[in-house]
Order: sequence, then C-alpha cells, then structure tokens
Amino acid sequence: MTRPDRGGPLKGVRVLELTKVWAGPYTGKLLAHLGAEVIKVESATNLDEMRAYGGVDINSAPYFLSINQEILSVTVNMKTDEGLDLVRQMVAQSDIVIDNIRPGAMERSKLDYQHLKAIKPDIIQCSIKMWGNDGPLGYQTGYAPCFAALSGLTALVGHEGETPKGMNIRYGDSTAGAYAALACLAALHHRESTGEGQFIDLSAVESMTSLVGDSLYAWGVTGEVPQADGNFHPDMCPHGAYPCAEGEWISLAVADDAEWQALRAELAIVDDPRFTTSPLRLENRLTLDTLLAEATLPYVAADLAEALRQAGVPAFKAMSSLDLCADDFLWAREGYRMVSDHRNGSRPIIGPSWRMEPDSAKVERGAPLLGEDNAYVYREVLGLSQERLDDLIARKVID
Amino acid sequence: MTKAALTGLILIETAERPAGEYAGKLLADLGAQVIKVERPSGSPTRHMGPFKAGESALFAFLNTSKRSVVLDLSSPQDRTTLDALLARAHGLIDDHDEDWCKAHGLAPAAVSTAHPNLVHCLVTPFGQDAPREWQNARPINVISAGGWAYHSPSEAPADKPPLKGAGRFLPDYESGIDAAIATLASLHRQRRTGAGQFIDISEVQVQINRVDCVLDRMLAGEAEPSNSRTAYDMGGPGTSFACKDGHIYIFMTTRAHWKALCALMGDPAWTTELREDWLEFDCTPPNVALFRNHFTLWISGQEKMPITEAAQKAGIAMVPVNTAADLPHNEQMIHRGYFQQTEHPVFGTVTCPTVPYQMSRTPVQMVRPAPVLGADQAEISV
Repeated sequence: MTRPDRGGPLKGVRVLELTKVWAGPYTGKLLAHLGAEVIKVESATNLDEMRAYGGVDINSAPYFLSINQEILSVTVNMKTDEGLDLVRQMVAQSDIVIDNIRPGAMERSKLDYQHLKAIKPDIIQCSIKMWGNDGPLGYQTGYAPCFAALSGLTALVGHEGETPKGMNIRYGDSTAGAYAALACLAALHHRESTGEGQFIDLSAVESMTSLVGDSLYAWGVTGEVPQADGNFHPDMCPHGAYPCAEGEWISLAVADDAEWQALRAELAIVDDPRFTTSPLRLENRLTLDTLLAEATLPYVAADLAEALRQAGVPAFKAMSSLDLCADDFLWAREGYRMVSDHRNGSRPIIGPSWRMEPDSAKVERGAPLLGEDNAYVYREVLGLSQERLDDLIARKVID
Repeated sequence: MTKAALTGLILIETAERPAGEYAGKLLADLGAQVIKVERPSGSPTRHMGPFKAGESALFAFLNTSKRSVVLDLSSPQDRTTLDALLARAHGLIDDHDEDWCKAHGLAPAAVSTAHPNLVHCLVTPFGQDAPREWQNARPINVISAGGWAYHSPSEAPADKPPLKGAGRFLPDYESGIDAAIATLASLHRQRRTGAGQFIDISEVQVQINRVDCVLDRMLAGEAEPSNSRTAYDMGGPGTSFACKDGHIYIFMTTRAHWKALCALMGDPAWTTELREDWLEFDCTPPNVALFRNHFTLWISGQEKMPITEAAQKAGIAMVPVNTAADLPHNEQMIHRGYFQQTEHPVFGTVTCPTVPYQMSRTPVQMVRPAPVLGADQAEISV
C-alpha cells in the first residue's frame, strides 16, 4: 500500500487539492510532475466536471485523463460533518492545499485559511479564483475567454485593424494554474526558512494581465495605449506568418540584413532597393508582406522552413493539431510519453516542459479511478483501521 | 516590513532573452537576490524599445528587483569572476544556445562538474539536443511550433495568418513561468539534499503543455487531430464585438444566459427567430450568424462599462475587453493592489503591474527598479 518512490525535486511534499475543471487541476499536475504527492479530494456526488465531459464513464473521461496524471484520488462526502472532519485530518498531514471551487465554498465548509491554520499552523493554502478571493468583483465567475478579455490580453491579439478576437478560447486556465504552482513553491521556501505557512490568493484575470506586463509597463512610461497589432514587430521585418501550399503557413522573423538576404536568395526574390535595410523594410512593410506572401505560396511549409533555417533564417511551420500529434521530435524528447491507463493499458500524455538531470520525477501513472487511493489515504496517511474505513464506506461518508 | 518569500536565495542570471530574464524577474520580485551578469554593452533587452529618454521600458519591466554586474565572459579573468559568483550562489538561470554555452564554459556538463551543488536552469526554444539550426528561433517561431499561433484567434479564417499572440514575447513569458517553477522545485531539493540539478526547459513544450486537455485527447485518439484552424475551438456564439467606446466579449451556453440577454436588450423581435433553448440544443452556424448579425448592431450603440456591468448583474458572462489604460482604474485590481507605483531613476513614477498571487505573509513589493548597468559591481570585487 505504500506509494512507489517516484523521486524528483518535490519528493516528500504532500499536496491536497479540491479542484475542478482545468486551472486548479493543472496546478496539481505541475507539482505532481515535479515529484510531489498530490491527493485530489473527490466525491461521487460532487464530481470534477472533467470526469463527465466527453463520455459517460467517470473513470475514463478523456478531459480528466489528459490532465490528472500521477494524481491520487480519495473520495469523501463533504456534505457530511464526518466527511469534512476527514478532510481536516488530511489537511493536518499536508504541506499545501489548493482549491479553485466557487467563491465562498471553502468558507462554508470551514476550510478557509483561518480554519486550516488552526488545524496545521504552517499550512500553505492557495485559492484560485477568476478575480481572486474577495473584493468588489470577487463574486464574479467566468470562463477563460472572459478573464482573458478582462485582463488586457485579448485587446492585444487580433489581425491589424479588426476587432481584437484574442487568443484561442482555450487560452488562460493553464497559465493561471502555472502561476499558482509558482506561488505555492515560493511559499514552500518561505516555510522552509521561517516555519511559517501562508494564504495565497490567486486571480486568474491577473495571471493573464501578467503575460502582457511589458505592454502595460510601457504604457505607464510612454502613455501610448498598446493595441492588437497582428504580427507586427517594431524591430523585425519581415515578421509574420506567410501562406504556403495546401493552406499551410510558415512563421518568419528577420532581424537583420544578412537574414533578409538569405531569405531573399532562398525565395528568389529580386534585390529591391525598397527592402535593403531594416528601416526601409519596416517602412515598406505592407508591400513586402504582400510580395513575400506570393513568394512562399508554392512551397510546402515544413520544407521551406527547414531550408530557411539551414540558410540562417529563423523559420518554423505554424503547426496544426495534426502536425503536433505526428511530431517525432516531441516524442523523442518525452514531450509526449506513455503512462498507465486502466482501460487501455497505456495512454499518451503531454509530458512536462522540463527535463532534470539527475533525479527527474517519474511520471508513469495515468489519472486515478474515482477513489482509487482511498485505502492508501485513509489507512496509511490518516492511520484509520480497516474496520473504521469499512464503516465509513458503509455509511457513505466515503462515497 | 515583511520578509520576502525567497529571502536568502542567491541566483546568477546569465540569461539575455525575455524568456530567461522573466524567470529571473519572477524570482527576484519574490525576494531572491538575482544578480544579472551583463556584457559590457549591457543586456540585449536594454537595446529593445520602447524607449524614453534613451532607456528601455522593456528592460525596466523585465529586470525589476535585480542587481547588475558587468562581465565580459569571453575574458578569462571575468569568466573566473563568474565562477566565484556561482560558487556562492544557489542557482544559475541561462537561456543561450549550445554554441554560446560551450564557448563560455556554461554547457550543462561543464557547469555540473565545476559546481555540482548548483541548480542550473537553461531555457531554450526546443530544449537541449535540438538541431543547431533550430536553436535560433524567435518568439513567433516558438508559438508557431507549439500550435497556439495556428489556432488563434478562435474561428481563425483560413485566409488570415496565424497570430504571434499578445505583444512580442508571449511564449517567452510562459516559458519563464515554467523555468521559475522548476528552479524553485529544484532549489527545494537542494535545501534537503545539498545537491544540484540541471534543468532543461523547452519553450515549445511549455506551449504544448498549456493545451494539455485539448491536444492530449487528440494524441490519445479521443478527438480528431486535423489541419483545421478551428481544431481547438468550442463552438457557440462567444466572441468579441465592437461597441461604442471599445469592445466587449460575451460567452453564453445556457437558456438562462439567453433569456437574461434578451431581457437586457429589451426583447427585440428578432430574438423570437431563435428557440429559447437554442444555445443548448440548436446552436448551429446559421443561428450563431443570425445572433451575431443582430447583436453586432445592438451592441455597437452601447458603452462597454455600463452595459457589461448591467449584464453581469443579470447573470450574463459579458465583460469589457479591457485595455492597458482601463486596468489601473479597475476596482478589483485597485482592491488587490495589482498595480504599484514604482520609482525609476529615469522614468520617475511608473504604474507597474505586479503579480497575480497575493501572499499573506510575503506580499510582493516592487521596491527595487531595474538596475543601472553594473550598479552592483562593487559587491563582486570583494
């Protein structure tokens, strides 16, 4: 029943998560992929919606499987006092507690920081909400595209001269989750050096805002309000995505005259005096973009990109989902890797962005069945007897 | 004054791109002592705009809370000084390519041999072992290689180019977050074991990791990967619209959303052309188009703050598309103190974005502006 030693830099750190959908579970995933023991508190009567999306079997729901690798699942009915007491016992055995449930829900269950601190004085609690934990707009909830719009990020993304449509609708949750993981680790260091725990109040809106911090800071300095600018770059030209054969696109970023000459030669574009220097290219940017879009059109994007890179021009195909799934380079680096899967034996997942040498954390176990780790958590971590565990199950305190 | 979270940690930053500099900034703002090692001409980001009075606002943003020393790492004497700095540091953050690292004695193996207890984090576009000619990739190449460009914006028309994202360095910032996370995790291990680690961050892998629950389902065969620009989309009528004084974004999925919006608009006749439950059961492209045609007209006459406030109160997820000028006046951000007034030696008082995490015991205080080149040289001469 003891857990296998996965190694990794966060070995020995225990995280309890009361999380749903994407941002909170993503925080838990990042910490688990670094070696932390992450226990997800679930309930058959109050499921993470991800266990329901895209399928009927709550134990093999694709969305859930795609995020929750190396997460342990414990079930408890939090609508009962006994269940809440069990959660408090888990808190007492944890270093970090993460939640992203509705505003006010942790308080109603007496799982807010004041209560958790009474259970374990050095606990680190991180609460992830759209607008943070309190404040005049703290009651609002929303979806990723809403917080991207509120954050200032959407206003900066769009084709030039058009209504800014923002990043893809999926952008936002995972970044908020990543900032939360960072704050938890900073708090862990503070605890190591002082013995103090603390409460972390994370705003998903401000997570997106932080990604455009340089533009906001620049506004504070120059007073110029930044706008959606397509693929414009003030120092590089050409800079953008250019069409290739079969609806493909190639990204190009030319920083100096040598790179321009190499690009021109590869595409057999005549040496035009309007484009010889960087200032001239920027001045004649729209003309150059039109000309370049005609020149790239006959090519296969990946082939042209490879030829350009060989010639010293930064270039890469704009990858589709099909391209990404077939990318051998990502497989070779374990950017994709296999984990265990209850139904199919194994499943590909997206691996962490880091490799560590030595002592990378093992990432081998797929997402848990609902309550898969009840025995470990209740018997080993909380030290309950089998008899007591059976009784709690019989009375549906553990569901 | 409260103590910062990372007080006592010393990090050396040889990074010279926004990716590595942002990782260093995140840790410096959290209280680590980050010593930025700059070439005699200064970090390349000092020479990137926008400028005011000859100073780079980009550099000033990316290097808050840091110290600066100047070293010519191609000179043996200065390279020895770097070793002395590394000997008393906990970590090193770098973001150079293979040839540069080799030429300056900063290849992973060389660093771990000379400093086995050091946490060495190296952020590169495709990670270590990437072909040499791939290593010179710029942010637009990274976001293209990672798939977000192709799929942005949602409903990207086939004839419009994929997008680089917000500003110039969006993928750099995402990578900086992961680099800071991995570095802090490894520094935690160092506290426990005394041992160092080499951390190899791939910027493209950060990009694909951020879309795990969309892309992985395709990888696993549960959803169909394709060459469609809309492969990541969710459908539905949600998008940005122009209003009288800017833009709003609306997201709707339920009958309750729709009924509330109809009421907000004063129940115009065209709304009866759609079933009351159309968002749930009849959300076809023609219906989305019909809705958008009418809504575009109506919303164009509204002002973004009053109408979104009224919508929120009615339970509709309609929000303003905030601009840089809106955010410092946002009541929630004021409440949370997201922006702080900071002093910069050249710019004067600047409204500075801080961090999305409020930490009860160790709040982030932006007290130290980005350093003047070589400001802390005296500290290393001892």
